[in-house]
Amino acid sequence: MLFMNQKPRVDLTAVLDYDTDGALAETAAEAQRHSRRAFLRRSGIAAGGAVAAGAMVPGLTSGAMAATPKGDVAIANFALTLEYLETAFYAAALKHAGLTGEHKRLARTVHAHEAAHVAALKKMLGSAAVKKPSFDFGSAVQSQAAFTATAITLEDTGVQAYQGQAAFIKSQAVFKAALSIHPVEARHAAWIRQIAHQNPAPAAFNPSLTKSQVLAAVQGTGFIKS
Amino acid sequence: MNMDQISVVEFDGDEAVAEAVAGLEEAGATRGSFFRRSGAAAGGLGVAAALVPSFFGGTAGAREGGSKAQDVKILNFALTLEYLEAAFYREAVNRGIYSGAVGTFAATVASHEATHVATLKSVLGSKAVASPSFDFKGTTKQWKTFLRTAKVLEDTGVAAYQGQAPRIHQNAVLGPAAAILAVEARHAAWVRDLLGAGKTVKPAPAAFSTPHSMEAILAAVKKTGFIKS
Repeated sequence: MLFMNQKPRVDLTAVLDYDTDGALAETAAEAQRHSRRAFLRRSGIAAGGAVAAGAMVPGLTSGAMAATPKGDVAIANFALTLEYLETAFYAAALKHAGLTGEHKRLARTVHAHEAAHVAALKKMLGSAAVKKPSFDFGSAVQSQAAFTATAITLEDTGVQAYQGQAAFIKSQAVFKAALSIHPVEARHAAWIRQIAHQNPAPAAFNPSLTKSQVLAAVQGTGFIKS
Repeated sequence: MNMDQISVVEFDGDEAVAEAVAGLEEAGATRGSFFRRSGAAAGGLGVAAALVPSFFGGTAGAREGGSKAQDVKILNFALTLEYLEAAFYREAVNRGIYSGAVGTFAATVASHEATHVATLKSVLGSKAVASPSFDFKGTTKQWKTFLRTAKVLEDTGVAAYQGQAPRIHQNAVLGPAAAILAVEARHAAWVRDLLGAGKTVKPAPAAFSTPHSMEAILAAVKKTGFIKS
């Protein structure tokens, strides 16, 4: 992966703790307990009073993801974080990189796609969606050449990330959503490679990466500030 | 059974493929023979996990829904499409008339599709369907027709794999299917860029990719008339 020589400014594993066995769900449950305690305090009801648990946190128990396996929530949030990153990257490049011609056409098109992916994943996750991190792309968006090299890495990584998670997704709804995005990222990857005069399809079988491999690569870029 | 009669042209929303389909006759192949060819006899795929390289990722488990028998049918459906693509690109390369960007595209994709055929045949073993015989109606004779036809075939391949992936039972089958899905999407974007430089023909025409059923794909393929028997 590129950019491995950059020091990570943030410990990504703390910020994006996506265990397939449900760390995110545990966090959500913890938030629910906090909210319930706060509600009880405000209402003057003693801790442990008979209040219906499900009413305390709107969305978490009644939302679309309530019946979704917690591993799928973690995977969808993993995807959402990557989509946040890509959306922000293309937006920053369109502002700063001096893009022209087909580079600019690509950036506009792909930015719109990634923003649509963010919207769809956020809608699917409801209140379980992670918040957008803040980003700093540094020199990666200061020139057309740097933009191109970075875009290739990000898109290739995105394809490999979706592919690496496919076998772990349990619900058909989340799986089909991922399947509708994965080939589009592959099109993006081929397109930017083609513009860069690199092989759009370097292998007969697209490789995949594990979640930790993807997180390590993303962390290595230093793009995520917090 | 409800058959979506989606023509090849409908897969091709932003550009007519008049040159590719004009003059093509309906093939003699019936839907029945398609299904007989694409749906192999029921049977297990125990050897599949051993043959599939581990770099495909995922676990060697099974998913809910589907069955090993259905996986065989899905793999043979994929193999039939790969036979078609491999033969198409092989014919284009063998003409010896393409060089530069088009030549590189043809040669690269030809080798990928041949690899897909070889891997799928090896995974299926004795359950692999035989290759149909093809007639590409001269679509490989001239670069623009070749690329336009390739575009339709690649877009179709993406829709086909995407349509089947949720039905796959074994993770050892899902891994390679997802790996091929991504590569067909790369091929599709590549050929679209060769056709229009991201202007008139978009490498990534939509934010979300659309799956199609096995029936819809087979009907569209039948309409091309490329499969002789």
